[in-house]
Amino acid sequence: MTTHLTAIGSGKGGTGKTLIAVSLAHAFAHLGERVLLCDADLGLSNAGVHLGLSDAGDLPGVLARKRTLDDAVARVACGPHKGFDILAAPSGSGALADAGEDDIETLIDALAHASRYDRVLIDLGAGVDAKVMQFAAHADETLLIVTPDPASLTDAYAFAKLLLRRTTARVPQLLVNMALNATEGRRIAEALTASARAFLKCAPEFLGHVPYDARVPEAVRRQSPLLAAFPQSPAATAIEAIARRLHGRTTAPLAAAGLR
Amino acid sequence: MQLRTFLAKDMKAALASVRADMGPDAVIVASEKAKSGGVMVRAALDSADNDVQPAAAAEPAPVADFDLHYRDGLLRRLRNAGDGKPRLSFNRSELLAALNRHRLPDALAHALAETAAKAQLTDMTLALAFALEQRLKTRPLEMNAATALLLVGPNGAGKTAVAAKIAAHARLEGRRTTLIASDSAGAGAVARLETFARHLDCAIAIADSAPRIDALVSECVAKKTFAIVDTAGFDPRDAKARTAFSALAQIAKLETLGVVAAPNDAEDLSEIVEALASLGASRLIVTQADLARRAGGLIAAATQSLPLAHITRSPFVAGGLEQPSSLSLARLLLDEQRSAQ
Repeated sequence: MTTHLTAIGSGKGGTGKTLIAVSLAHAFAHLGERVLLCDADLGLSNAGVHLGLSDAGDLPGVLARKRTLDDAVARVACGPHKGFDILAAPSGSGALADAGEDDIETLIDALAHASRYDRVLIDLGAGVDAKVMQFAAHADETLLIVTPDPASLTDAYAFAKLLLRRTTARVPQLLVNMALNATEGRRIAEALTASARAFLKCAPEFLGHVPYDARVPEAVRRQSPLLAAFPQSPAATAIEAIARRLHGRTTAPLAAAGLR
Repeated sequence: MQLRTFLAKDMKAALASVRADMGPDAVIVASEKAKSGGVMVRAALDSADNDVQPAAAAEPAPVADFDLHYRDGLLRRLRNAGDGKPRLSFNRSELLAALNRHRLPDALAHALAETAAKAQLTDMTLALAFALEQRLKTRPLEMNAATALLLVGPNGAGKTAVAAKIAAHARLEGRRTTLIASDSAGAGAVARLETFARHLDCAIAIADSAPRIDALVSECVAKKTFAIVDTAGFDPRDAKARTAFSALAQIAKLETLGVVAAPNDAEDLSEIVEALASLGASRLIVTQADLARRAGGLIAAATQSLPLAHITRSPFVAGGLEQPSSLSLARLLLDEQRSAQ
């Protein structure tokens, strides 16, 4: 039994990847999954900062094969809810920046066989360099974050193209962040889908949008997870809905088999 | 990938700019009305990547809305390729003849032909799509946002099947759903709904009065459960029946959804849809589109004042709710002609 690997990337930086990765980890844990969040941001690890943790795990130790995965993760408590585990590098340690292809291969293998978890979320770094794509290519599914910024659209497209090139068949799924409303969210997703359909002969699936929400930067300032600080906010609700959608696919599907 | 945004006074001018600046391979990826008036069009261009062959990736069911079809249509036009069927050149009398064959009401057929002629498009399907677009309002259901729905319409329109389809979609989105049967007198009505509820893992409740429905709906809303109320069929043009219905229309938090069947006389359907609108329905679902060889009823119903949410083409629950678009309806109306050529 291997663990389900969900990678989260965007190409462009500043699209809210880390916030979404942290919130999804929280939401999946809430849905009863055993979750590990792995911060694979090259050099600049900040999932731990988002969560206000003093110990965010020892990713460099795992990469250097000095510690086992079980031994290197840190626990994130989520108030009354079930928490999740995190594996990150101390901010500024540059652990992944120096890691070679073999080291990353070993790490991915360890994550995929971490049977203590139902799901490992991998927060990819910005950019589309070889290490980012290596993580993305080995994941079971890749969520691609797009924002209304046109540059985010072209960068996400580049990400999708490189992912297809590496895996020949894997189409990422879209999540539109910071959309003004559902219509804008859909429009942005369709722009990317139309480009992919025309030039890459595939159609990424649109998972949903996370609305622009002033409580998101507020939660980040407080270094408190969005789903704990503002569980009723529109952004938190949207992320929970997306988590439910993905959760349903990896667990037993709806008992609709009796229907024609 | 190159991405450019064009502002122009209308779609035609915008497309001309796209072609002039980016060449014939550019793809329109987004278009919207600009705030300053006119249109904003976003176009993308990339060399086709032969290294990329996502053969194993099944394309997910496309969201069949107008933008998408319109864009695909434009793409085909730009690339000068068809969908396998010949393209028809615009001809007003042929268009009118086709609309008459489909038994569209005369006034509607003439109005559509008139608008289509004004579009000055050489492709007849696109011209008709343009004309339909002026009259067709679509507003698909959002399963995540909807709170409670009341299905109304004539007998046999397919309200119970629609209730099951909506419930199936909502369950797939992971929502808790309760089916409320208020047609306890109809033969087998409750039993059918119960069967659906069991298969869909939904709760079911039976209510035979407006206050009881009101209470059940409030309870569902409080528990964040999606409530779908199936009602007994009636003719919404009938004064007595309208009065009887008005108690249901008073229930707060309940969105009224009109349901009519496509294989009916176009004029009758127009009246019924308008009557449903005046009863407070906010959108429309047209069922049994697969049974109507002549699309007059479907088109007449869809172009009344109620926004069209979905059409259904299959009695089976898994057949789902389709999102029609101007282009798909135009194709439907001209299909015979295109095949004949």
